[in-house]
Amino acid sequence: MRGIGYWVVAWLAAMLLAAPTQAQLQPKGKNAILAGLVAESATIVPGRTVTLALTMRPSKGWHGYWKNPGDSGIETQIAWDLPAGLTAGPIQYPVPERLIVAGLMNYVYEGDYAQLVEVSVPAKVAPGTKLPIRARVDYLACTDKICVPETANVAVDLEAGPAPAAGTNRAVFDRFRQALPKPLGGEARFEVRGSRFRLAIPIPAGLELGEPYFYPLTDGALSYAAPQTFSRSGDTLIVETDAPPGGGSLSAVEGVLKLSGGNGLSLKAVPGPVPAAGPPLGPAGERPAPGASAVLTALLGAIIGGLLLNVMPCVFPILSLKALSLAKAGGDEGAARREALAYTAGAVLICLGLGAALLGLRAGGVAAGWAFQLQDSRVILALLLLITAVALNLAGLFELPAVTAGGRLAERRGLGGAFWTGALAAFVATPCTGPFMGAALGAALVLPEALALAIFAGLGLGLALPFLLLGFIPALRRRLPRSGPWMGRFRRLMSVPMFLTALALAWILGRQAGVDGMALGLAAATALGLALWWVGRRQGGALAWLPLAPAALAAVLAAILVPTAAPGPAPAAAQGLLKSEPFSPARLAALRQEGRAVFVYFTADWCVTCKINEKGALEREPVAQAFADRKVAVLVGDWTRGDAEIGRFLETHGRSGVPLYLYYEPGKPVEILPQILTPSRLVSMVS
Amino acid sequence: MMKPMPTAFTALAAFAIAAAPAAAAPIVGRPAPNFKLADSNGKVVTLSDFRGKTVVLEWHNPGCPFVKKHYGSGNMQRTQAAAARAGVVWLTINSGAPGKQGHMSGAEARTLVAQSGARPTAYLLDHRGVVGRAYDAKTTPHMYVVNKAGTLVYAGGIDDKPTANPADIAAARNHVLAALAELKSGKAVSVATSRPYGCSVKYADG
Repeated sequence: MRGIGYWVVAWLAAMLLAAPTQAQLQPKGKNAILAGLVAESATIVPGRTVTLALTMRPSKGWHGYWKNPGDSGIETQIAWDLPAGLTAGPIQYPVPERLIVAGLMNYVYEGDYAQLVEVSVPAKVAPGTKLPIRARVDYLACTDKICVPETANVAVDLEAGPAPAAGTNRAVFDRFRQALPKPLGGEARFEVRGSRFRLAIPIPAGLELGEPYFYPLTDGALSYAAPQTFSRSGDTLIVETDAPPGGGSLSAVEGVLKLSGGNGLSLKAVPGPVPAAGPPLGPAGERPAPGASAVLTALLGAIIGGLLLNVMPCVFPILSLKALSLAKAGGDEGAARREALAYTAGAVLICLGLGAALLGLRAGGVAAGWAFQLQDSRVILALLLLITAVALNLAGLFELPAVTAGGRLAERRGLGGAFWTGALAAFVATPCTGPFMGAALGAALVLPEALALAIFAGLGLGLALPFLLLGFIPALRRRLPRSGPWMGRFRRLMSVPMFLTALALAWILGRQAGVDGMALGLAAATALGLALWWVGRRQGGALAWLPLAPAALAAVLAAILVPTAAPGPAPAAAQGLLKSEPFSPARLAALRQEGRAVFVYFTADWCVTCKINEKGALEREPVAQAFADRKVAVLVGDWTRGDAEIGRFLETHGRSGVPLYLYYEPGKPVEILPQILTPSRLVSMVS
Repeated sequence: MMKPMPTAFTALAAFAIAAAPAAAAPIVGRPAPNFKLADSNGKVVTLSDFRGKTVVLEWHNPGCPFVKKHYGSGNMQRTQAAAARAGVVWLTINSGAPGKQGHMSGAEARTLVAQSGARPTAYLLDHRGVVGRAYDAKTTPHMYVVNKAGTLVYAGGIDDKPTANPADIAAARNHVLAALAELKSGKAVSVATSRPYGCSVKYADG
């Protein structure tokens, strides 16, 4: 046979002809994906397991494959060479990414990734025994043009010992583990209807999903490259996509649901009914252009929403006083129009700016929602000071040209003043947008950028609309009440909703930054108030605003000092009927030391079972009463983001996910409760 | 056997003639989509011309390491020879787009076939990927078997060991040889589908 020799020559010829691919070949002897083996601890306790990480570092432009590689590619193969008695578990893959090349789907990793393997050591291994771990790893490295099967011989030397070594790679491994999918807990259902594969996944209705995608582990369940559409029906997420042609029947479909922020949930679906699809959530993969009517509806919704904002306590005083000042000015049509336009520009530009910043953050991978800026306590502090200043101004402590209807300052009214009033109105309106604008603006976020920005601009336009109308329709202006001494009283009165808004902001600051943060914010507000009072006394002088300098300094200092994250309890947990505090192993140990009975539960926002148990059993009056009577301490571990410390704690209790309910009674072994709780079970547990 | 013809004509023919129904992916047990493609000699080959004979379709890319696994070891050539002895038609199809890995002109394909000792009935050039898409060919190699009645009876991988390591061939089940043997003895193909493995087919973008 002429076979191999000729083949090699021909192949080389073909490679030379294919010049573009030639340039991408790695230098000989160097893998396109560098593989390494690391152990979490160099010491391994006999009878226990140690986690090894196969670290993979693709060169730029190269990618490695998930367990299910997609339309082409292969999974990683490891041939272990282990000391006698040691066994290696399956490869645990991190949540992958999608890469479509010429219409074919690849489930890949384009950046560095780590595949984890548990190795167990028999109890009979004597401490001090050297345990050399060797493995041959075969994997496929590809660019979008070529693929190269690569082999790496990796090694790590371990030793049997009494306890895991200090100075371990724990922090690194915590990061690796966070990239793994977390078990969903609940069971999903799937069905094939016609040519469509449909999947129902239990996911709490309120969970923010980002851009979800279902990565199938089971081959032949769905067409990989087909777009997936998502919709929700209560606590169920419904995935629909094309079934592969001529696919057989499957008894189970496994896979990973990817959520926002790279979070993944591993799940198994069994055949069963899937509810009818609701309105689509925004399909994964390429976004189809939304229908013109949908965009118009969203735009109209944003304008109406903006209009509604005008009656919000934080906006109404600003608008009403501005409107009155305009009415009072009377006469000059052109000036009124210009002012109305300037006000509108201010409101629209601030909304656009906030919208653009939000889109930018989301593009950067941050799971931000509307009013995202309010999640930063420094922004809350700034708003608190601003609103306090506005409130004090309305109360008559000092005069400010932009906001007031004061006689002397009316002449100083200008386009700049109107612009900044509009900007101010839009900015202070954001705390009030949340409740009813959240959904509409959330919808805007899945639109292409230009359209999303148009929606944000619509919100600003709606906000400015009343003032705009007043500016352009003199008849409306004439219908406004005549000015008189009552306007001064009205202005004082309008300071009340502003002070209330300031109070609400102080409360939010307290929730975010704790009591210290709130005290700091209130101190800054007091300093500002004193300074403004001084300003008011001196008003008119050349250096009238000078006293504000120390107050501004104090505000900046406070902004630096105010903690950006609450040191206190997890917000969700602290609220309910059952008094609780956040879980930490140290806190648990301390409580048990005190001889307290402790109930520990682990939950996550994406866990339906957890939420049902919390609503149906934990947050019930008799349970709270029974717990309070017996002084049972409650610790809550929130695993929504896959906190590593909680992950380790779950593992030591033989769980890989939530929920987990534990009851520690002094002098008794820990009791692990069933995954479905009832109030009576909880009451009988503590009594 | 194949006779040389002017290369320019070959290339032209390949572009001009490639035609196949742009239907949905073929289904095992249903009629195999018919197609017309120019071979490496510029001759037009039509699938339906082989009615009455069993036909094997093999998706090919000479640059792909998984294809190399089966050609470098001689496994694919042995499979082709066995098919030829049984009177089975073997069509090797290259759906690599110009400029992409493994794309070949007719002359290059003729050289490659001669030098590798491959035994296809014809080496077909599907530069635009029309036939590849019609068959939903995803990997190289990706194998299809069409029976004498023109029904698709197998679609999937060449064997059940999805690796690039030639050492795995010895212990693997060659799905194509198994299907051909079952067809010959009048039995149904026991493994009618399997997961194809290999490099992605280097289709034209878009």
